[in-house]
Amino acid sequence: MFKEFAKGLSITLKHLLPGHSTTVEYPKVKLEMSPRFRGLHRLVPTQEREKCVACYLCPTVCPAKCITVESAENEQGEKYPKVYEIDLLRCIFCGYCVEACPVEAIEMTDKYELANYKREDFNFDKERLLK
Amino acid sequence: MVNLTIDGKEVTVSKTATIYEAAKEAGVHIPVLCYAKKLLPYGACRVCLVEVEQMKGRLIPSCTTPATEGMVVTTMSDEIRKVRKTVLEFLLVNHVVECPVCDKGGECDLQDLTYEYEVVANRFKGEKFDLPTDEVNPLIERNMNRCVLCGKCVRVCDEVVGYGSYSFINRGFETKIATAFDRGLNCEFCGQCVSMCPVGAILPRPFKFKARPWQLKEVNSVCGYCGNGCTVTLGTKDNEVQTIRFNDKTGVNDGNLCIRGRFGVSYVNSDKRLTSPLIRKDGELVESSWEEALEKVTAGLRSAGSDAGIISGARLTNEELFLLKNLSTAIGTGNLDHSGGECYKGATEGLQETLGLQASTATFPQVEKANAILAIRTDFYETHPVFGMVVNQAVRQNNAQLTVIGDKQGKLTRMPRARTLQHKPGLEVNILNAMCRFLLDEGLAKTEGLQGVEELKDALADYSVEAVATATGVDADAIKQSAKELATVENAAILLAYGLPYSANSRELGLAAANLALLTGIAGRSGSGLYLCGEKSNSQGAIDLQILPVTGALGVTGMLKSASEGKLKALYITGEDMLVSYPDKGLVETAIDKTAFVVVQDLFLSETASKADVVLPAASFAEKAGTFTNAERRIQRLNPGITSPGQAKTDFAIFQALLTGLGAEAPATEAAAFTELAAVTSGYEMVSLDMIGDQGYVWGGDTLAPETRNLVAVAGGKAIEAKYQLVVGSALYHSGTTSLHAKGPMSVVAEPYIELGREDAKELNIADGDLVKLKAANGEISAKVKVDRRMPKGVFFAPYHFGSLELNRIYCGQTAIAVEVSK
Repeated sequence: MFKEFAKGLSITLKHLLPGHSTTVEYPKVKLEMSPRFRGLHRLVPTQEREKCVACYLCPTVCPAKCITVESAENEQGEKYPKVYEIDLLRCIFCGYCVEACPVEAIEMTDKYELANYKREDFNFDKERLLK
Repeated sequence: MVNLTIDGKEVTVSKTATIYEAAKEAGVHIPVLCYAKKLLPYGACRVCLVEVEQMKGRLIPSCTTPATEGMVVTTMSDEIRKVRKTVLEFLLVNHVVECPVCDKGGECDLQDLTYEYEVVANRFKGEKFDLPTDEVNPLIERNMNRCVLCGKCVRVCDEVVGYGSYSFINRGFETKIATAFDRGLNCEFCGQCVSMCPVGAILPRPFKFKARPWQLKEVNSVCGYCGNGCTVTLGTKDNEVQTIRFNDKTGVNDGNLCIRGRFGVSYVNSDKRLTSPLIRKDGELVESSWEEALEKVTAGLRSAGSDAGIISGARLTNEELFLLKNLSTAIGTGNLDHSGGECYKGATEGLQETLGLQASTATFPQVEKANAILAIRTDFYETHPVFGMVVNQAVRQNNAQLTVIGDKQGKLTRMPRARTLQHKPGLEVNILNAMCRFLLDEGLAKTEGLQGVEELKDALADYSVEAVATATGVDADAIKQSAKELATVENAAILLAYGLPYSANSRELGLAAANLALLTGIAGRSGSGLYLCGEKSNSQGAIDLQILPVTGALGVTGMLKSASEGKLKALYITGEDMLVSYPDKGLVETAIDKTAFVVVQDLFLSETASKADVVLPAASFAEKAGTFTNAERRIQRLNPGITSPGQAKTDFAIFQALLTGLGAEAPATEAAAFTELAAVTSGYEMVSLDMIGDQGYVWGGDTLAPETRNLVAVAGGKAIEAKYQLVVGSALYHSGTTSLHAKGPMSVVAEPYIELGREDAKELNIADGDLVKLKAANGEISAKVKVDRRMPKGVFFAPYHFGSLELNRIYCGQTAIAVEVSK
């Protein structure tokens, strides 16, 4: 029994040695996110406009009902989102919107520093999402 | 009847049923793209293939194959699944898959089938089309790249609407649906093709990119325009009616609608709607509170007492009209009426004196099985387009012989085999008299049980067919032939519409039509009918509830005359822009000016409302609960889809408040009001709200038997002697004055026009679009000209809907107006 105890403690002690810590000194040091991490949303732009065609699949699939889309017709007669808003206070970062999108117009970035001072600032409109 | 087995289920269906219909009856689902209940079988899409034991070796299209005795049908097997999937793959070879931007997405039959049959890849390669979309017209967008060539639009436009806008052109892979010479669509814009299209090839433009089908809440209500009483399914979102949804399961219209029903509903969302009561202070109408406005109205009406006059429109619900009638009793006045020029007299006096009824004797669907149809006035299609479509179906599918008595050509006269008795304006009664005389002379009349046969014979001495033919300019043989058909066929129908622009001869026409209906045996015979159709959505309800002057009191004309002499102390006008729609604008103007206290209750600040002392904001049909009674006596329920803008209230709530203010009792809800009104309204006694189901409830039954059978002689009209004559009427794209606030109808016909024939145009050297002036005895009108082949020489037509035309300056209820033309 003692043998096993020493073995376990040695692993612990090994981690106490410098250079073996898993803790990162945030915010000075930041971790690199996994590519599949689901952070802040981003609307993908094309050259002239946003890629989104306002098909309403993301607000439909969204379990938290945090996406607001209003479609309209632009000068070229194309369907585009006149309004595209995500209420991050409601969002649960499930990524269903990304999965539902038929034209890959929305993706989730590695940004996770989303704290803010005002409620309004959690409402991400089209301009902010396109950045 | 035949017996067959479908997927192990035994079914018995009629001999005319197809396998598809039999399966539907048995509750077995077979997918379809090109099948529609109301269209003839076509078999274009091949999605509905099934196996039939007796026809082994190949798959059978179920929508075109008649069910026969002993058939054993299998609707699903591995092979069927494989074949259907292949069919879908074929369709998807050239169907552009742009579901994200296609408004049909979510209710697309092709999308649903592709999903169901898991068509994720395509084994076939082919070109996608890149045809330009047809966006020339403001209401219907056609994108032929999405078309699957089911042909439903072609068939509905031909079989149901009778317009024939579309046809297939080209061959093979290049086949497509096109209009004449492949130009942009330019038709009557009923949008039937929109409702039929199984994919997103034909879409409503006003709804373009507005919302997805699954976001809309669907509410079944009754169209607030004409007396046809079509069910409209409101698609609502964000407290606005976004669009009208297709629904062929509820109501009398079988999913058919006209431009007004399908595209004319947007007036309910208009930002010009009244949102608060207005009171005139120092000559200006200013916003006020409901308390103040109601107090003022109650005080004004109470002090006027028996010198008050109430004029209602015919678009209020039965419940509201019932309260209005109670209100008149509470005020103590019998001056109550509902239509200008008493245009309903054909029913209340004409039919009353002859048949002892005040309503149509049969229902609309019966006309589909008619063998002979007589339409009095070509404008019948304009006032009741969806009933016009039923007539078209009778003509095309049942080979009915249609006769039109009209002073001009129109949609009805262009129907197959239609016989037009084109007469000089104002002589409809003469022709009807000639028909009666012919039937009596030839012994074809069914005189058994009829009162006044001899008197009628004597009175018709001057109406021999030949004499009438000479006087009216109609072919004598055509009159005889039509009369003979009406009297001899199994099922026949006589159609007559009334409304504000048709106030001339209304009683006479009612009498003459009823005489003919009695002599031909049409009145009261099952399968046949005399249809007297009101112009507005609840015209029949207003008559049923007797929104008419009580004995000794004044009707509309009496009220207006009395008011113009300063004898009325108060006028209460609800749901009608009298200054625009009533005949004789001068009289209405003086009446309103001379009356000390005028209350107008309306949706908009209409011309009439802007002259009122108090304006009360009311609610549209989309915001109300209640019932309408349509022109075939069908009581149907309205359901509120949205809430009223601002402080606007339903007419029901306003009348309730006024009744309470006057110290009278008022029913608490619409349902309670219906129970009360049913108890006191003739024909409604046995009707309760829960009897009014999806198809409504026809009071008096499908065939209403006449109470009396009196023939009443009626004198015909005289043609006026003038080189140029103007007739007024209703335009297809508009109904009353409300549709002028709706974007759809206004995008097609935005301005008043004067219509004339090519001959006149040539003679007067006028081209389409020129401004023309018509001078009559008491005024002058001026509008752009529309030249077509509809109008006979010397006859002009002007629609009555537009206030800017001031047509009622010269139209005072005449059959035709003598005019002088100048540029």
